[in-house]
Amino acid sequence: MPDYKSVTVTKGRGGWGGPLTITPTDERPLIYSVTGGGIHPVAQRIADLTGGEAFDGFSSSAKFEKIAVAVIDCGGTARVGVYPMKKVLTVDVHATSPSGPLAMFITEELFVSGVKPEDVQEA
Amino acid sequence: MTTADPVQTGARPVYESAVTQIGSQVEAFLEHGILIFFGAGAPEELHDMSVLHQVTSAEDGPRPGDTITLGDTSLEILAVGSVVRDNLLNLGHLDLKADGRTEAKLPGDVCVAVGPIPRLTPGDAFTITRSQET
Repeated sequence: MPDYKSVTVTKGRGGWGGPLTITPTDERPLIYSVTGGGIHPVAQRIADLTGGEAFDGFSSSAKFEKIAVAVIDCGGTARVGVYPMKKVLTVDVHATSPSGPLAMFITEELFVSGVKPEDVQEA
Repeated sequence: MTTADPVQTGARPVYESAVTQIGSQVEAFLEHGILIFFGAGAPEELHDMSVLHQVTSAEDGPRPGDTITLGDTSLEILAVGSVVRDNLLNLGHLDLKADGRTEAKLPGDVCVAVGPIPRLTPGDAFTITRSQET
């Protein structure tokens, strides 16, 4: 059984929200990358530092309840809202602010943006 | 050199796809002038808000001046955000906004004139065409 660690994710240049503390658990082990081109380096770094399982949401499907954090490369409309709406911690690698029809769900407690790998540090 | 198509229209497709599924929340987004596309492989939590489609040819993302065809309706693209190309080519993802902007408000936006966006059904075309390079 893995021994999970915590990371702190802070907003990057031009970003918004956070900081978020991410700690995978046995119930929620997945570092869920919903990004183009496979697992994003930000998701990989979160997985490496926490012991969570990096998971490519576009190549296979996961049980939603198992997601510890969603890493997205969203341009501001859809994914930025979907995961916070479902109360999933959300990291956008693009520097977006709350916007789109689901903006009301995007809060500093659930969402951080503009994140690069160096913005992920051991807690 | 001869062209394969005797009727040379002067425009060529840079992205060709066909609609496969319409999410249950698509109509609600249309009321805000927004239509969201994702490729058919998108994770399930994105299906409700999206038009899913199966791409057949993906050469490039849209540019201002290109035409987006949705079923029988063609709309001129006015503006394209900075992350649109990557999201479309990697994920089949595009956010169409009927907001009339000539500069995209959000990096994922593809802007067309203010007006109704057509209701799509499975089998409809989703195509981006480009006039001959100017």
